[in-house]
Amino acid sequence: MPVLTAAMVPLLVTKGRSARRDDAVPARFKPGDQIVAKVMSPLTHTRLPRYVRGRRGVIERDHGVFVFPDTNALFAGPHPQHVYNVRFSARELWGPEGAATDAIYIDLWDSYLDRA
Amino acid sequence: MSNHKHSAPLSDMVLRVKALESLLVEKGLVDPAAVDALVEAYETKIGPRNGAKVVARAWTDPAFKARLLKDGTAAIAELGFTGLQGEDILVVENTPNLHNLVVCTLCSCYPWSVLGLPPTWYKSPPYRARAVRDPRGVLREFGVELGADVEVRVWDSTAELRYIVLPERPAGSEGLSEDTLAALVTRDAMIGVAKVPTPRERVA
Amino acid sequence: MNGIHDMGGMDGFGPIEREADEPVFHEPWEGRIFALNMAAGALGKWNLDRARYMREQSDPVEYLTLGYYEGWVLRLEAMGVEFGLFTREELERKRTALAAAEKS
Repeated sequence: MPVLTAAMVPLLVTKGRSARRDDAVPARFKPGDQIVAKVMSPLTHTRLPRYVRGRRGVIERDHGVFVFPDTNALFAGPHPQHVYNVRFSARELWGPEGAATDAIYIDLWDSYLDRA
Repeated sequence: MSNHKHSAPLSDMVLRVKALESLLVEKGLVDPAAVDALVEAYETKIGPRNGAKVVARAWTDPAFKARLLKDGTAAIAELGFTGLQGEDILVVENTPNLHNLVVCTLCSCYPWSVLGLPPTWYKSPPYRARAVRDPRGVLREFGVELGADVEVRVWDSTAELRYIVLPERPAGSEGLSEDTLAALVTRDAMIGVAKVPTPRERVA
Repeated sequence: MNGIHDMGGMDGFGPIEREADEPVFHEPWEGRIFALNMAAGALGKWNLDRARYMREQSDPVEYLTLGYYEGWVLRLEAMGVEFGLFTREELERKRTALAAAEKS
């Protein structure tokens, strides 16, 4: 790629670089579906934080299709897939120390999820 | 504990950065004018005033607010705010019964196009570790006490969506102009760690 | 990876330290390294996911004790070497030369 010049900066800054893709990838889940986050421990990059692994949540919304960072970070291809917003109750994540009213909402790639 | 100091530079940090820049420039890989332009953009143009305008518009224009909550990216683009780390934005609304809080537990993801670069505390281990685990305790530390009946939603923005909170419009702000309202809106309120001060609190 | 960066839910880091009227960059070098990371990234030798992965591979003690942009300095040095923008030796030579020039 060409060297970034001062003249290119405004375009870079205002256009950005969305990881969204328009690939027609089927969605495995829809809002309201119960899921469980996979238990996995890759030695490489992942956006599945430890604190949700193995926990049950509910699909809140489907954000559409995005590049998969786990493979993209390794230059192993974009593997575009759906990213969902998933709701985990504070009780599910933290046990009795979580407030019954509260929840954590986190965006997770399709590959991170199993049907509960 | 020095685990979240922002800038106690290693004695040679200035030298190391100079060496990096000078080497990259010598090799023709970096244009120093582009570096100047990037620093200037984030120091002077792209900051929380952008987000404050979005909030003020939502408070005064119900149709805009509806668009904003439906498709944040598109509605924010109407005001001209687009770009890096704001390519895909979701806006979440605070109400008397619902409080939203934004964090990135894995790194420092933040909606640059509307809030600028994040403050040091947002990137620090104490905030990242605790926001998901004890959001009410974090909020208390910021001076926000929530009743047990208020639902707290923590948005951990570890993927490609960036989040901004649409705070509650403060009491006593009826009839204020959009510009005056925008001046009331704080960065912290758009992260969800504060409420927007009433015009009277703002003066006090 | 199960690294130190993945800190959601951990206890014991103490209170959140805030700074009133915090500037965007505390020192000029912070702005330079921020922009240098972006400019070097724009060369397309790596992507943002790779850059995040690099940061996650930091020594955990360093990750917690260095300032945010200090971490970015170490990362750009490491990525520049790994992706062939420069060698470790070139970097050392440049530093030595700059330090000498400053003294004289």
